[in-house]
Amino acid sequence: MEQHTAKAYDVVVIGAGNGGLTAAIRVLQGGYSCLLLEKHNLPGGFATSFKRGRFEFEASLHELNDFGSPEEPGDIRTLFRDLGVEDKIDWIRIPEAYHLITTDKTYDCEMPFGVDAFINKMEQYVPGSRKSMTDFFDLCNEVRDAQTYSNSVNGNTDSAYMKAHFPNFIKAGSYSVNEVLESLRMPQAARDILNAYWCYLGVDCDRMSFLHYGSMVIRYITRDAWMPRLRSHEISMAMDQRIRELGGDIWYHSEAEKILVDGNGAITGVRLADGTVIPTRHVIANCSPHLVFGKLLEEKAVTEQMVRATNARTFAGRGFSLFLGLNKSAEELGIKSHNYFIYDTADSVKQYDLMRKVETNHVQATVCLNNAYPGCSPEGTCMMYFTTMFMSDDWGNVGETDYFKAKDRVADDMITVFERETGCQIREAIEEIAVASPTTYARYCGHPQGVIYGYETAEWDSLMPRMMMMAEDARLFPGLRFAGGWAMRSSGYSSAYVSGDLSGRQTVGDLKREAK
Amino acid sequence: MKFKRQLFGFMDMLRFKKLVPNRREALAGGSPSPLPKSYRVNDLAKRLHPGEMAVELTGIRPLTAGMTELTFRRLDGDAFPFFRAGQYVSLRGQVGESLVSRPYSIASSPREALENKLVLGVEDAGFFSGYLGREARAGDRFAMTEPSGEFHYETLRDKKRIACIAGGAGITPFLSMAKSMAEGDEDYEMTLFYGARTEDRIAFKAELDALAEKGLRVVYVLSDEEKTGYEHGFVSARLLEKYVDIRDVTFFLCGPKAMYDFVLKELAPYGLPVKAVRKDATFCGDLPLENPRTFRLTAHIRDRVYTVEARENETLLTALERSGIPAPNKCRAGGCGYCHSRWIRGEYRIAEGRDGRREADRKFGWIHPCVTYPLGDMEIDVPPAE
Repeated sequence: MEQHTAKAYDVVVIGAGNGGLTAAIRVLQGGYSCLLLEKHNLPGGFATSFKRGRFEFEASLHELNDFGSPEEPGDIRTLFRDLGVEDKIDWIRIPEAYHLITTDKTYDCEMPFGVDAFINKMEQYVPGSRKSMTDFFDLCNEVRDAQTYSNSVNGNTDSAYMKAHFPNFIKAGSYSVNEVLESLRMPQAARDILNAYWCYLGVDCDRMSFLHYGSMVIRYITRDAWMPRLRSHEISMAMDQRIRELGGDIWYHSEAEKILVDGNGAITGVRLADGTVIPTRHVIANCSPHLVFGKLLEEKAVTEQMVRATNARTFAGRGFSLFLGLNKSAEELGIKSHNYFIYDTADSVKQYDLMRKVETNHVQATVCLNNAYPGCSPEGTCMMYFTTMFMSDDWGNVGETDYFKAKDRVADDMITVFERETGCQIREAIEEIAVASPTTYARYCGHPQGVIYGYETAEWDSLMPRMMMMAEDARLFPGLRFAGGWAMRSSGYSSAYVSGDLSGRQTVGDLKREAK
Repeated sequence: MKFKRQLFGFMDMLRFKKLVPNRREALAGGSPSPLPKSYRVNDLAKRLHPGEMAVELTGIRPLTAGMTELTFRRLDGDAFPFFRAGQYVSLRGQVGESLVSRPYSIASSPREALENKLVLGVEDAGFFSGYLGREARAGDRFAMTEPSGEFHYETLRDKKRIACIAGGAGITPFLSMAKSMAEGDEDYEMTLFYGARTEDRIAFKAELDALAEKGLRVVYVLSDEEKTGYEHGFVSARLLEKYVDIRDVTFFLCGPKAMYDFVLKELAPYGLPVKAVRKDATFCGDLPLENPRTFRLTAHIRDRVYTVEARENETLLTALERSGIPAPNKCRAGGCGYCHSRWIRGEYRIAEGRDGRREADRKFGWIHPCVTYPLGDMEIDVPPAE
């Protein structure tokens, strides 16, 4: 295709991941024109599916939290309703919270949804935990209410109001998960079981902010998790359709190569690899600041402040997933749970350390989709996916000629651990297999080092200060906002949708201010 | 409840107040050294998956009466990527006004790829292969996709022993698989059944005999000729039983449809599980229709609109290419999804047994143009080719 200048758009969104799709809908709903650029030939980023033989695999979604039922919607269902995509998707409810196993034989616990059920089950496993668990959920409720208030004022919270209404939120707000649970005098065993979700955020509980963890757990436990029937690809396709209904354009196979700026450093457009230029003054980047400030943005506009602020941050986990299509049903194989967390140890600090090396990492978050949706694969079969993360760039040591074998070694270990810990023999039943390594994630989504969780939400860079500095961070480069796993809300499906919602609406605000 | 960690509650509050100043300070204190331009994992992804490559034809060798060997080198990189033996590439060229692309299994090994050599064995059967066999010359340039496809050994799924059955040009992926085994990159034990009509239709015989010295078991099967050193007839269950334990191997089949039908019928009485037999995908060509109608196909590619004629018996992809419009494609068998395009209006049919779309694609009206035939005027939205 010869080089040419396309028509101008009010906003160009780079990347059709969960954040980019949501942001594009928000911009269009605000009455502005929008072009969504995506380098791959599908929308969704990680929110996709792929086929092997008679199986269609979910690429990444384990469960969508804070979704809730149609009658009692959670924040994400409400968001989907506002976006106009809720009804385009068939939803199924996830049956149970999680099944925690530690390979040191300390824990084998199945936890339910619902605060009372959860507390009762915990009391069964850890007698004497009831009081601290009740306090924990009270505190979590206050965290959620404070966040709802904060969102309602776009992060510009009134300090006196906060102190009067959410004193516990503020007092607990600067501490880690482990510090808060210790202050609640929660028995160690209850803490271990409660902390099982930590791998969803990818930071050990000594360094993970309590506010972040508490707000996630309460959303899982009180407003059950759901997922789309046709895999997460259904959400992505529904959003694609919604964008077109609203008059937006989406170009697949169209990788943004440069964000162009004028002499004053203001954005003038986006250039594609083939030279096509799309004039615009607003960009929402559904990709990493490392990529934007390191490669995409014209160098003359890159300031020392941008470089320092980007270098200061720490990459979170690099993803690895195994997908199996099995030629026996979950029942025949004895796989009873939908969602397993299998750790070497319930000590998240030790576990995090073991996850730095490919060799010493045996963690898995494993889903058998048929236990949530029996019809997801043909009668007499079932589908599983196993996910882990590497907390360093150790995978980068894998060479080209060892690549396929390296993938098999990790996958082999995942199968071995699952069989050993659950007693379910699955190996002989493997009919289809696919493995995604950090290299695969780097290939499809372009994330540096195959990171799937954006920047670590640990210590100084935890969720709360990020949210409080949302406006300040955006001033780093006017005209540019971020959405998706690398943005203020950090990674995970729900967070990515929320960040797209925020950045989309804020960009609409920017455009309205400009027009005045 | 009343949360407190420090002796006095206000000290907890003070800590909260410092969250923002702490983060502000940490961001300002990051290193001023330039951000990385590349990352190891992304570099490996780029080496393994370079996307479309510019290649040059360096050698042409007739193999048999109907088959030609083509050797390529890559122009836009030091070497071809390492791949999994059994995979294919799609070759794209221009024949007159038309663009043409076809998938071909790779005959050379993954190690040879690293020496910037990639070999295809092309059967003189169609429009493009005929052109390649007759008119292509050393020095000609083509576009080639990166190696792709799931027709390869899977260590964690397949049996240690594999039985490969080749018919005609279907020998090519197995030559690569045998070489890769000999080179130590695959750890299966391979028995190859290579069926042809006559001895002079056997391609790569010298190579295969040499590989037989290095562990490959090869059984040549001639249907129209009786010769010492060759089995006579078809690759029947009785013949297979002579060489392998049918229940203790994974089968890999590559050849014409008639061969698949025959072998699958032979294997049916054994009641093997689905996983025991892997078949390579076959190219989706024109429909055998008498007097096919001609329709108008409107294709949006980004902000451009093209209108071309599309015949009832040709796929939408072929119609676009025939008019010189490049559209993304790899497998041309409905399965890989690389041509994923949005249907806007018009009736169509999908080649039988080749609807490889995701469930949500069907729900939201997306199609794979490589296996979709028009039944009226149509309008679609196609992503640009690379």
